[in-house]
Amino acid sequence: MVGMKKTMGTVSALAMAALIAGPALAEGEVVMQDPGGAYGDALQEVMYDSFEDETGIDVVTVQEARSGPRIKAQVEAGKTEWDLTFIFDQETKLLGDCCLADIDYDKMSDEAKKTLDSMPENLKRPKGVALQVIGVGMVYNTDVYSEQQPESWADFWDVETFPGKRCLPAWPRFVMEAALMADGVAKEDLYPVDMERALKKIEEIKPHVSKWWTTSAQAPQLLLDGEADMCMAYTGSSSILALEGAPLEVEWNQGFVYYDFFSIPKDAPNYDNALKLLSWRLDSQRAAELTSAYPVALPSPLVYEAAGPEISKYWANNPDNLAKAIEWSPDYWGAESEQGTMTNEEYGQERLNTLLAQ
Amino acid sequence: MTDATPTAAPLPARTALAQRLKNPALLLVPAVVFLALIYVFPLIDLFRVSMSGPTWSTYFERVFSVPLYWESLLRTMQIAFTVACLCVLLGYPTALLIHRTRGLTQILIATAVILPYFIAILIRTYAWMVLLGRNGPINKLLQMLGLIDTPIGLLFNRGSVLLGMTAVLLPLMVLTIYASVSRLDQGLTRAALASGAGPLAVFWRVLLPLTLPGIGAGFLLVFVAGIGFFITPTLLGGPGDQMFAMHITQQADSITGEGFLQALAVVLLVITLIVVGIAGRIMGFEFIWGGGKMDAGARSRAAARKPAARARRRGPGMVIADLLGWPILRIMGRLPAGWGRWTVRGMGGFVVATLVIPIIVVMIISFSKASYLTFPPPDWSMRWYEKFFSDSNWMTAFWNSLAIACLSAVISVSLGATAAMGIVRSDIRYKSALMLLLVSPMIVPPVVLGLSLYSLFLNVGLTGTYLGLAAAHAIGGIPIVVVIVAASLQAVDRRLEQGAAVHGASPLTVFRTVTLPAIAPGLGAAIFFAFLHSFDELVLSLFLSSPRMKTLPLMLWADINYQLNPVLAVVSTLEVLLVVGGIILARPVLARGRAA
Repeated sequence: MVGMKKTMGTVSALAMAALIAGPALAEGEVVMQDPGGAYGDALQEVMYDSFEDETGIDVVTVQEARSGPRIKAQVEAGKTEWDLTFIFDQETKLLGDCCLADIDYDKMSDEAKKTLDSMPENLKRPKGVALQVIGVGMVYNTDVYSEQQPESWADFWDVETFPGKRCLPAWPRFVMEAALMADGVAKEDLYPVDMERALKKIEEIKPHVSKWWTTSAQAPQLLLDGEADMCMAYTGSSSILALEGAPLEVEWNQGFVYYDFFSIPKDAPNYDNALKLLSWRLDSQRAAELTSAYPVALPSPLVYEAAGPEISKYWANNPDNLAKAIEWSPDYWGAESEQGTMTNEEYGQERLNTLLAQ
Repeated sequence: MTDATPTAAPLPARTALAQRLKNPALLLVPAVVFLALIYVFPLIDLFRVSMSGPTWSTYFERVFSVPLYWESLLRTMQIAFTVACLCVLLGYPTALLIHRTRGLTQILIATAVILPYFIAILIRTYAWMVLLGRNGPINKLLQMLGLIDTPIGLLFNRGSVLLGMTAVLLPLMVLTIYASVSRLDQGLTRAALASGAGPLAVFWRVLLPLTLPGIGAGFLLVFVAGIGFFITPTLLGGPGDQMFAMHITQQADSITGEGFLQALAVVLLVITLIVVGIAGRIMGFEFIWGGGKMDAGARSRAAARKPAARARRRGPGMVIADLLGWPILRIMGRLPAGWGRWTVRGMGGFVVATLVIPIIVVMIISFSKASYLTFPPPDWSMRWYEKFFSDSNWMTAFWNSLAIACLSAVISVSLGATAAMGIVRSDIRYKSALMLLLVSPMIVPPVVLGLSLYSLFLNVGLTGTYLGLAAAHAIGGIPIVVVIVAASLQAVDRRLEQGAAVHGASPLTVFRTVTLPAIAPGLGAAIFFAFLHSFDELVLSLFLSSPRMKTLPLMLWADINYQLNPVLAVVSTLEVLLVVGGIILARPVLARGRAA
């Protein structure tokens, strides 16, 4: 509210006129980072609309894929704008001390506490709680590969047996691990990543990659448009299309599972409201409803049990899927690289960009 | 600025002060202070942060030692150079075509060039994505003609980047060249023809040399704009087409990028300044604001010197032209008569088509029923218009953009117009340097500007406020206003003003009754363009917006990166209508201005 008043003071009469058209603030607000796209729509429908009706607190959503650098800049300048953000697992260590507030678990609602009790300790940290378990796997067009289906990253790299265009994320994480597995590295021996070897393998597939995507909605779109036949993609945004009847299938073997941690930045303007929204999202019944609308799950068995099996088949924390997937290491990617000033992720990004630019 | 007025005779102290306050040079103060605070100071701070590593050069060493970055720098220069060459090649015939045709044809061609100039780069790039897409009209046409069986990938390669950037920057080139072509004395070509020169010789020995400064100015403006390009290569390019400005936005996504990020921006800025500096030394810095009209006073004083200097400079040029040109001309002379005219018409027509067709295709697609982009649309509907007008996010963004653009236009015009008065009406020293400062935001890459403002805005609390964004957009709005208003001020007959003053009108009355009506058309145009500049601005907003503040271009940008749905076509169509409407509304005013 303080921030809002200050804004109001500085805007001109002209701008005020435009502001009046906006919604009035009754019980304050909570500024929440939002993934946008179909997931954003589902969140709005299932979570935010009901939350606003119930509490009178406005949910202001910010579409941003990655919040880390912005939070750091905001907190360091003493101008925190966000109340609730999701942070990549590999960034929680880097940001934890400088920029994130402790989560007061005692103030959570009873339903939320119940869900939290069912979650593994590692997923409810002092500075972040895992609200979504994310899967990254191989997704392919079932019309193109109707006779023989790819089952591993080795198949993904095998353009003789599985001809067709590929798409991959333009990131070192996941791609380098997949390349190593395609090159015969066992999944226990992936870390620390042998970047040179991975890059060499990536160079092999590069001519067959039609697009190196950067946002989660791109890969399924490329598959639907026929720009690519086989992709490494987020399982959430792909499986929702598969559920709707699109000719897509998700292969969980050698897929990656990780967690997005929700954190409250230091000096967040609406800390209490952020806790309320966190509690709201941790309600297992509601979380199951959300996951049915968009298959990104809350990592709790309570939520898993509350949803139907035809949907939970696509969930990243389905035990069947978990068994096939590899344990992806955020610690490795968040650690400082041998080159010094950068994290492994940043160094890997630079190396991958260099390769892609050639 | 403390210069005494040159006319000042010894006066009593109080009168001297009053006189001094009347000095038109004081009108420059608001704009200069504004730009110093919000433009020069943040750029200086950018240099400071870029040198804050263990040693001052640490981050710069990384820029030039990691192949990713310096190769990208070379690639950026190469792409910008190619685009500038393409623009000259295509833009020159188009400018000639505008000049040579008459009546309706001329109006149509001129509109086809000018209209895209005022439509947001983001929207024009999006139009190319639609055009080149897998289900786009080009692929459909090729399939229909039986040239290809399955759609081919026309997007995300160097070709699409060059095509898109050329199309986006062509209007700038055409308008710059046209400015110099239109100043041409028609008598010269007629005299040459009458003296027995063939059309080709007239072109080579009269037309080309006289319009060369215009070509040079256009080339440099396009090249400089190309170096800092961000939107078009991001959307149309593949990973092999990374331009330098894109690394800056990417590094902004890294937690440990502080310092190195600023070093990248400094490198981009310094290279831009070097290019502009060299160009300015050779052809005068006037090329930035189009023609040497600004310094009329100084010019007439220097007029005596100038012709001699220019004649000398053209000497070696003529020798080279003759050595190279005549053999080529002889060969070309064997071509059938009328060939030259048809070349101009053919290329000009092609240019007009590439500028207009994308916009038309986008407008058609906005009425599509399909939920993905395909052309021609399988069926028609207004569903995307309904979605746009019923979606509160889009509407909020629209109102935000409108409010910011109005506010920004007010800031730009009040500061820019007074500054233009100060420049034109005062007799201070360093006039050119001041003018250079006022228009220099035009050449600073927006990515650099946005980054430099980021920390300032964060610390002052301007991030995501109407005032903050409007002020940031005004940095680019002021040059537009200064150039337009200064040009119209120079067209005002000073004797009228002096006449009014002699008859006892106060300076304010003179301004209100004589000067203002005379520059009203220019002022109107300046308001409109300053408004549009802010309304279309994306790159600065990317750095300076906040959770609550989404502008229309920001929403477009987010959606383009997510999914290409026809709502974007709706927004584009509405923007085109806005520009067309603005031009139609402004036409009587502009026409009056031209007649005057």
